[in-house]
Amino acid sequence: MKTSIINDTRYLLPDNLTKKHFLDSLKTCFTVKQVTNTSESFSILENFEWSLYSKKMMAIRHENQTISLWNELNLFDDETALVIDNINARAKFWWDFPDSDAQQTLKPILKLRALYPVYQGILKIEQLNLQNDEGKILIFCQFISICEPERPRSPIMRQVKISPVTGYSKEHKQAVKLLRELGGFKPSLPPMDSLLGALGISPAPYTVKPELNLPAAMPARTAVSSIISTMIEKQRLNEQGIINDIDTEFLHHFRVSIRMVRAAIAQLKEVFPQHDVPVLKQRFGDLARETNYLRDIDVFILDKERYMNFLPESMRNDLLPMFNDFEKKRQTEAKRISRWIASRAYRKEIDDLQSLFINGYSAVETEWSEQATIELAINKIQKTYKKIYKAAQKINNTTPDENIHSIRISCKKLRYLLYFFASEFNMKKIKRVGKHLKSLQDTLGIFNDLTVQGDFLKNYLYQLEHKPKKDIMLIASLGGLISTLYTMQLQERYRCIQELAIFSNESNQQLFRETFIVSPEAG
Amino acid sequence: MKIIASYSIKGGVGKTAASVNLAYASAKAGNETLLIDLDPQGASSFYFRISAGKKDKRGYFFTQKNRLLKQIRGSNYKGLDILPANLSFRNFDIMLNSMSKSKKRLKQILSSLEKEYDLIILDCPPSINLLSENVFNAADMILVPVIPTTLSERTYEQLLKFFQNNGYKKKIIRPFFSMAQSKNKLHRQTIANMENRHPEFLKSIISFLIEIERMGVHRKPALVYASKKSHVQSYRTLFNEIVKILDKK
Repeated sequence: MKTSIINDTRYLLPDNLTKKHFLDSLKTCFTVKQVTNTSESFSILENFEWSLYSKKMMAIRHENQTISLWNELNLFDDETALVIDNINARAKFWWDFPDSDAQQTLKPILKLRALYPVYQGILKIEQLNLQNDEGKILIFCQFISICEPERPRSPIMRQVKISPVTGYSKEHKQAVKLLRELGGFKPSLPPMDSLLGALGISPAPYTVKPELNLPAAMPARTAVSSIISTMIEKQRLNEQGIINDIDTEFLHHFRVSIRMVRAAIAQLKEVFPQHDVPVLKQRFGDLARETNYLRDIDVFILDKERYMNFLPESMRNDLLPMFNDFEKKRQTEAKRISRWIASRAYRKEIDDLQSLFINGYSAVETEWSEQATIELAINKIQKTYKKIYKAAQKINNTTPDENIHSIRISCKKLRYLLYFFASEFNMKKIKRVGKHLKSLQDTLGIFNDLTVQGDFLKNYLYQLEHKPKKDIMLIASLGGLISTLYTMQLQERYRCIQELAIFSNESNQQLFRETFIVSPEAG
Repeated sequence: MKIIASYSIKGGVGKTAASVNLAYASAKAGNETLLIDLDPQGASSFYFRISAGKKDKRGYFFTQKNRLLKQIRGSNYKGLDILPANLSFRNFDIMLNSMSKSKKRLKQILSSLEKEYDLIILDCPPSINLLSENVFNAADMILVPVIPTTLSERTYEQLLKFFQNNGYKKKIIRPFFSMAQSKNKLHRQTIANMENRHPEFLKSIISFLIEIERMGVHRKPALVYASKKSHVQSYRTLFNEIVKILDKK
């Protein structure tokens, strides 16, 4: 029956109950038939953001390298697992798996993140049928235990799952009673949490977006120091992933964190002594600039599929030499950046910078340093928005691209200010502002990306000048790509102008005026 | 949800063997399947090691969904449930006679199981009576096992006539050859003749096989213990053929 699966019951067994005693007790009520008994080394796979866990899913890599993906409710149930072939055993991104079902399932969850083992151990699963004398199965019973690789005989977790068979609820109750008498207890946490807890793993979902809760009356400098400190922590969380080159998101988030630090310094500079500001800007700017080239190549390679699809099928392979070229360059550059992050020089610099903010930036008082945070927030957000809508109102069909790009940068600054100070204002209204801003930023972002990509390809084309003529097809396909990107850019420019008009209209101005005020509902 | 009835006026033609193996094939293919053992002898239930229901609860069958559900037993195989036979089933006719809409009672109660099952298979007793007419009204397909002999041919044609005379759709009748022996000349001839005259015959043929007879010893569908024998696999082919026809509807 379609509804009968849900009634599984899980019990954890007490340490002092031996497996033999457990089975012997079952045998007093049922004929116990062992169906399967497997023991294998296994790993639990996750990505840095614990995205599977957040979606209540778990991926396990078996000894034969195949991967089983479960929903929390069906954990360890062979029949409901999505089994993913993993022939080359090195697959870590969704696009590495040969099976398209697996790709479609994993793509929206993993995005650009790599899977890697967060736990390795030995998994033993014993499938038992509890039957009557006629050989009729009354209850399905699954005995799961997990051991550390070094101590394969002493399980750190033992769980029994009993699934009733339709029409045999009396027998199921009997088994539950027996388990209780043996000291079995229902885990208080959901299946995945109780499993991970028993293995000593605490999932740590991560996002680069800061969740700050700055009191409205906090002195502004203390608040800004706390913002910067939080972002430096985020930056540092990404260091190891860059050193091991696990996926491109580590570098991306590393850079986003620094960008927010720089935005905080530049936008909220009045809380710091005037002569400190350029020095801080320079030091964080240097850290970011060091990684510019690697990020450019990463973005370009991630877009490979998209570029190829812009061209007629017969010309797509002509682009491959260029991508091979960039993949080689990436290898060299990624190694350099990995060494740099691991270097003593980098570590000393970031330790120094971090120590400046960790307990509040200490320096002489400035005009803004002791004012209430909310005053600073309102002042800055209003000013930035005003700057955007003034510039937006001047935009027309003849405005140079640079002006649109500069509005994009102001929007990014506004977005960061909203991240920093969201908790000070009415949540509902902030969400509405955020929605409008996101829609505008998305359009401006596409426009900017197209410009950057076009320039990137043009630069590559100029470098080809000295190459022999056999590259003629590569040159032709580059030409095709550049002109496609240019056409798209023109269309996108039109959309940008429309979006800007919406963002700077009277009702949005009103929304900003109403949202960013000292409000009794905030907090 | 689709309903298939394994039905024949004659006994001993392989109805139960077909019901049991088709139900297993269906569950194995991922369908939530219910096999209803309408035959008071309870052979299907026996093959699945399920003892007969209690005798005195006949009233539930055509009236109360909840009491019907309580009688259902999970089999030893995932996705396959059994409604075991009950000796009181032999009184179905008397019971039905006393009810209004007496020919559509089965259809009504089965359609209430729509959410629980993808496929219901009815293992019917050999006879032609009020219960059979309920089956004819409820089923999307009447699957008729036919042993390729002259007598079976006659019985099959009687069934067609009954359908015609009583206004049932002949279209839903799909016969297949059962217990056929390829070395038997008469069998071969009958198959050729009947296929000619009755294009509705399914292509899959179930041969006479000692492995199938042994189901009573194993108490499992033949597809479980002799799945590698090609003659046993014919049940799977038969199931696939049936699914294709039902999907077209």
